[in-house]
Amino acid sequence: MDQRWCLSRRHILKGMAAAGALTAADLAWWEEPLIAPRRAWGAQPVRFQFSVPEPKRTALVESLAQRFNQSQKDFEVKVEFVPQAQARQKLITSIAAGTPPDVAQVWDNWVGEFDGMNAVEDLTGKVKDWSGYKDVLPLAWETVTVKKRVLSFPWVVTNDGVYWRTDRAKEYGAKPPKDDWNFDDFLGWAKTMTKPEKNQYGFGMRGQGTWAVLYATEFMYANGAQLLGKDGKVAINSPEAAEALDWYLDLFRKHKVCPPSVPTDGWRGIVEGFGRGVTNSYIHNSGSSEEQKDFVKADNFATVPLPFGPAKKRVSFYFSETLTPFKAGKAREGGWKFMAWAMEPEPHFMYAKTLGLLPARKTVADRPEFTKDPALAGFVKSFPFSIVSPYLAYAGWGGKLDSEGVPLFQQALVGKLSSKEFLDKFAEVLTKNMS
Amino acid sequence: MAREATLARPLARPLLSRRARELLGGYLYLLPVGLALGATVLVPILSAIRMSLYNNVLIRPQDYRFIWLGNYARLLRDEVFWLSLWNSFYWVFGSVSLQFVGGFAAALLLHQTFRGRAVVRTLTLLPWIIPGVVVALIWEYLYQPNYGALNDLLARAGLMTDKVAWLSNPSLAMPAVIATNVWRGVPFFAIMLLAGLQAIPDELYEAARVDGAGVLQRFWHITLPMLRPIIVVATATRIIWTFNYADLIFVMTSGGPANATQITSTYTLLQAYSNLDFGYAATLSVVLLLIMLAFTMLYLRVTRGVEPVA
Repeated sequence: MDQRWCLSRRHILKGMAAAGALTAADLAWWEEPLIAPRRAWGAQPVRFQFSVPEPKRTALVESLAQRFNQSQKDFEVKVEFVPQAQARQKLITSIAAGTPPDVAQVWDNWVGEFDGMNAVEDLTGKVKDWSGYKDVLPLAWETVTVKKRVLSFPWVVTNDGVYWRTDRAKEYGAKPPKDDWNFDDFLGWAKTMTKPEKNQYGFGMRGQGTWAVLYATEFMYANGAQLLGKDGKVAINSPEAAEALDWYLDLFRKHKVCPPSVPTDGWRGIVEGFGRGVTNSYIHNSGSSEEQKDFVKADNFATVPLPFGPAKKRVSFYFSETLTPFKAGKAREGGWKFMAWAMEPEPHFMYAKTLGLLPARKTVADRPEFTKDPALAGFVKSFPFSIVSPYLAYAGWGGKLDSEGVPLFQQALVGKLSSKEFLDKFAEVLTKNMS
Repeated sequence: MAREATLARPLARPLLSRRARELLGGYLYLLPVGLALGATVLVPILSAIRMSLYNNVLIRPQDYRFIWLGNYARLLRDEVFWLSLWNSFYWVFGSVSLQFVGGFAAALLLHQTFRGRAVVRTLTLLPWIIPGVVVALIWEYLYQPNYGALNDLLARAGLMTDKVAWLSNPSLAMPAVIATNVWRGVPFFAIMLLAGLQAIPDELYEAARVDGAGVLQRFWHITLPMLRPIIVVATATRIIWTFNYADLIFVMTSGGPANATQITSTYTLLQAYSNLDFGYAATLSVVLLLIMLAFTMLYLRVTRGVEPVA
């Protein structure tokens, strides 16, 4: 056998190193090369779990860890990449097995569950002594506060806004969405921008995954509904909620301004639908803005806040991507140092900017890269009326939203349940799981 | 000189009789297999049964307690479980019956002599070689209503005016995932039945021809009876696999829309990894196990008279 054609381990490693270097070269902000001699010999390893939905994040986080490792000699962060869809399960099973990572990047709606498992520690005292404490948006701290205890660092924050196609609006003579638009303007826009003969639809509604229910809830809030009443009981099955939900679902059921794939369109579906030009608007957080700059180009889209409802109200739900340390971690001190370092202005700015997310630190969020970018304008303008998602109130709601809320929502979407029936059943599920 | 007499000394009586030693040796040889099977099959099953008797929600460790048959009682009241069970039967028998028909047709075709038969046989195997998750992703893309190839093809052929949401319409979602599973499973039956067809002696067909039997008669009186053992084994194995096969549905529809494609195995996954309710998920697994056990016993009873034919 010709040995020259054998793929040795050395060849594979060289290939991987070259691929990593090429990927890192794409990150213009990173001046130091990705492949660099390690300085932290003998340093204590710090396990950092990170979920990866796309390749850019892998290179970014590898670079971030490497820079931290080179900045000091006591700790060495080792990143454990996991697929995004499995991140929560992997964390929970590792917590149950007593081997969680030292730090993990997690969404704030999971933090309550981890607290329920007694897996996270109270960081309140430590973060209040941290130099950047007052620079972090109070709402961001709120997203990681469970039972008056701060349990994580809010790394970046997200809220929801509407992405819309500027070029197509001109082409079809549609009235561009304004910052203070309302439900009627929204429907008018969606109707004008629907061209079934061209396989184009005005609005890419989400029908799959937890956020399908969350986006619908934002419309219910715009009509004056509340998830929890003043008595602390679930009140999402109110007439206001049912009326708004009917209006929202009719975009798909009656007005046909959404593509037929809605009931199974999850995050990937709505982002790709807009990216491929099938939909002319969709609701999401700023996390897909960088992707859309590649898909539809920065000049061809913009973002705008969610519309006002009949009650002259509107909300956008706040979430944060957190850095969360675990009690059973073996390198808690190293984990803390890494988190505090990642929240320093420069790494913080680079992480948020590269991924199109909004920084949790005010001084960083005020930079023109965030305030002047039309792709982020809708989210920045939504800050004044953004609230922490009411679904964070109970840890028991996290999984139930997905396993029971979404199938019920889909039944309403395809007409098997009326809006009121869905909300009654949904309220029942939430009431049962208020823990 | 007196000669010393040689006295026969009785051998020491062994601790175990020869038969017992043979038996023990045999069991010792079996011990590693027994241990391996016990550790990988029996212990997990017992562990699942034990778990099903507990309230074991990972996010509520404080509520962990023995609840007797509480999870089983909950299961009886769970509408989604009954729906998922019905969907499971629909999914299994829809998939396996069509896979069998398609596989049989393919096997009969591949049994004929024609140019390029080797290439066609290899190509027929392809869907079976591709991993299930990849198959799911490919078909999810083909079914995509807005930019998928299937709708485009049907529209170009003039067979469709409005776009069909294959996976998003509750009435079409299950037939669509079954069609994907049929595509993937046909090669399994084709190969199994082809091997069976090749083992049927030609003399039988020649004798039947001499006796004036037509094509259908030869198929009905020779091919089918001779293939019966393979048909029974292949069908039963495939039914068990399909019942437990969650990958395809999990990737393509996640059990939706509105639970239209929720089968018991995907529902178990949902309970375990979305709700983190491992007690209830274990209960669902035990029930699945019991259903499969009942099916296997029925299968063994049916095949008892079949095996000697092989």
